[in-house]
Amino acid sequence: MNLIREIWQSIVRRDPLSTDKGKSELVFLNVWLHIHPAKVKKENMKFRHSFYLGFITFFLFLILVTTGIALMCYYRPFPPQAYQDMKDLQFVVFMGPFLRNMHRWAAHGMVVCVFLHMCRVFYTGSYKKPRQFNWVIGVLLLLLTLGLSFTGYLLPWDQLAYWAITVGTNIGSYAPLIGGQLRELLLGGHSVGEAALVRFYVLHVAVLPSLMILLTIVHFWRVRKDGGLSRPVWKLKPATDPLVTIGAPAATAPLGAKAASATKTYGLMEVVTGKPIFETVTAEEEEDTVFSYPYAFVREAVTLMATVTTIMVMSLFLNAPLEELANPAKTPNPAKAPWYFLGLQELVSHSALLGGVVAPALMVLALIAIPYIDRNPSRRPGDRKWVLGLFTFFVVANIVLIVVGTFFRGPGWAMVPPWVHVVGGAE
Amino acid sequence: MERRLQQIFFALSFLALALIVAAAWQANTPSWKTYQRNFLQLEAQGEPNAVTKAAVLATPPEIHQVMLTGLQRVDRCTTCHLGVEDPTMKNAPEPFRYHANLAPHVPSRFGCTICHGGQGLATDKDAAHGNVAFWPNPLLSKDYVRASCGRCHKEGEVPGVPELTEGRRLFESQGCRGCHKLNGVGGSIGPDLTAEGANHRAPEWLERHFLAPNQVSTGSAMPDFHFTKEQAHALTYYMLSLTSEEMGSYYASVRLIPGPEYGRQLFIEKNCITCHAVGGVGAKTGPDLLGVTKRHSTEWLDEQLVNPELVYPGSSMPAYDLEANARKALLAYLVIATPDDLQLILSKRTRPLSAEEVAIEAGKQDFARFGCVGCHGTELQGGVANPNAQGGEVPSLLHVSDDYTKDEVIAIIRNGRTPPLDNAAGPAPPLYMPSWKNVLSDEDIHRISDYLWSKQEKKAKDSW
Repeated sequence: MNLIREIWQSIVRRDPLSTDKGKSELVFLNVWLHIHPAKVKKENMKFRHSFYLGFITFFLFLILVTTGIALMCYYRPFPPQAYQDMKDLQFVVFMGPFLRNMHRWAAHGMVVCVFLHMCRVFYTGSYKKPRQFNWVIGVLLLLLTLGLSFTGYLLPWDQLAYWAITVGTNIGSYAPLIGGQLRELLLGGHSVGEAALVRFYVLHVAVLPSLMILLTIVHFWRVRKDGGLSRPVWKLKPATDPLVTIGAPAATAPLGAKAASATKTYGLMEVVTGKPIFETVTAEEEEDTVFSYPYAFVREAVTLMATVTTIMVMSLFLNAPLEELANPAKTPNPAKAPWYFLGLQELVSHSALLGGVVAPALMVLALIAIPYIDRNPSRRPGDRKWVLGLFTFFVVANIVLIVVGTFFRGPGWAMVPPWVHVVGGAE
Repeated sequence: MERRLQQIFFALSFLALALIVAAAWQANTPSWKTYQRNFLQLEAQGEPNAVTKAAVLATPPEIHQVMLTGLQRVDRCTTCHLGVEDPTMKNAPEPFRYHANLAPHVPSRFGCTICHGGQGLATDKDAAHGNVAFWPNPLLSKDYVRASCGRCHKEGEVPGVPELTEGRRLFESQGCRGCHKLNGVGGSIGPDLTAEGANHRAPEWLERHFLAPNQVSTGSAMPDFHFTKEQAHALTYYMLSLTSEEMGSYYASVRLIPGPEYGRQLFIEKNCITCHAVGGVGAKTGPDLLGVTKRHSTEWLDEQLVNPELVYPGSSMPAYDLEANARKALLAYLVIATPDDLQLILSKRTRPLSAEEVAIEAGKQDFARFGCVGCHGTELQGGVANPNAQGGEVPSLLHVSDDYTKDEVIAIIRNGRTPPLDNAAGPAPPLYMPSWKNVLSDEDIHRISDYLWSKQEKKAKDSW
């Protein structure tokens, strides 16, 4: 009995969770949980403020990593075996369809959630100082998500995959000077073939996920360092008692800074300059905070399980598409890029250079630049009408373009409403 | 609130667990397991005692598959079609029924889909039979399944499938190549047919198309050749067999079917007639071969062809390097060889055509072989409708020397030509003369023009 207790205590070294010390130590002493603060503001957990979209996105990523590793056991990245492996997953691998469905639906879900997360951050003004750079990291994570989804799209090696990637990479090749070379680098040739499949596979299972994990760590770390999760603007209290910072020269120091005393010994935390990372120092704020355990953790756990069960229910009843074996000689009409690029394809159908290169490049640059252009410090919607309107316009335009590209474009990219059935097509 | 959240968490966790169990249940109860259980019950009925009965019923369910690298496929059909090779299942209900007349095409070497179509990898009925979206190759119906023989048996006569032979004959004699390429040779007006079978068109569609091209695909340039139903059926067979797949050497090697026609060809090629006679017609050096297949066993004759000295020491017959199928073909011919036929062979040998006649005959054959006859007619009469071309039809070539010099005709064959329009404002006529310079050698083109001129001269003589 003593041995068991000794083993248990060698693993779990915190005090019992019934004590405040134990609740704090659960966070401090655990490598996985210590990205959380020991205590969080109640407002941090308001569902109607953030909809937990960041968490949902992260949990979808976890589902994708897990199911992705399982799928790798059944997949050979060369044609036509890649397609046969899809058929084997469908017909002979135990729970193979469920596995593939989960990966597929979680992937689409992640693209949607990462986009919604971005919109939420924008609408709540959460990218503002000091979080500008974390917004930039977020934009990079959005691009990585699209990249992962796009590279994964080719792997089944069916007609859908083949032509979506052909169209998708063609859009990229409209870039002047480097477009063609870039496409060739990505495909390992002039058209989608064996070389392209291996390259996309390597990007999909090694390069992009590694980058994703690295940047996700930075993203989360920054959230902690920049003052914790975003809070509703109406709950923000004006700082009552200016914080005391020690060690900075008096002339340039913020208000209330004290010169260091030559006769006193300071601990490290006392000499770190700048705003403290955690704003629970004042007494009146103290009452708004609760321990992360169980308040924050139970919400995260519920979000995780809700995400997982939603994806599972979808996977049980909706099958991931799988068309015929890729056939370079048989172009479907219309050939469409993955849905999240159909807005771009729609633009390309009007002007290749403007729609395929200038517009997306400007869009990405503008997204990255947003926190540096928008210098209005207020997060209150009333003070940001013009900016919110502009952003909403772009979001709606993007959605409309994607809807048009997905549902309203028929053979020859002609306008065909989804309720009209086109007979035959080109043969 | 906190209590409620914890409850929700546990509820969702249970739900997740239930969903995994549901997914596992779904995965663990595929329809093929039901079929296998039913089959085992059927098998157990025939067992005399309880012990063997129980042993049969206890057979664990498993997926049966045939890996056919040579045919580039994996067939799992026998997972449900369990009685295919079991003659006692002759009267069993489907999917367990015995497949009669299967040898030598046993499932372990050939699988099922190479003949029947469908989706070999699938393990549920609809998907396996190809009746699902995105599987363009559904099961061939009973009426057309024999067309698949032509996928391996690409040449010669296929026993039991006269439709294929007739289809091939029609294709080469009706001038299809004039518009359609097949294995790189042919015109460019219609689609290339090299892999037409791989397009997986419905056989019924093909058949209707042959009977009335314009009614099936509107605006098709293909003229109505007034094929009979049987001819359309035969051509459909041929089209279905043109899949242009790579077959492994095992499957490619059986292409040669020993038939008497091939044997006759060998009989001529190998000059058997210089030593042998049939019913007195021929040479007397060797024995007369009339009825030789009745006098000796097939094995004896085969051995004689492989190594004559072993059978008859001191025999003056050379050992011909003939492969097994060729020897069978030769023997098949000897069964039906008659003195009259030998006379015919002899006559061809002794009275060869003059060099000029040979060239013209070759030109005539080229004219048919490359499909010129499809539009210009077997007798050069032309007349195939070609709306909005001058005269409304493909020109007759009977009077070609009146309007053109030989060099001009050669140039037209080489470079092709679009016909002059009847109505300049109207649409381009569907048929035109394709350029043949990449298909025909200069020698062929000259031969064809010589053949055309030979017809002109005859006409000139006649009118004198």
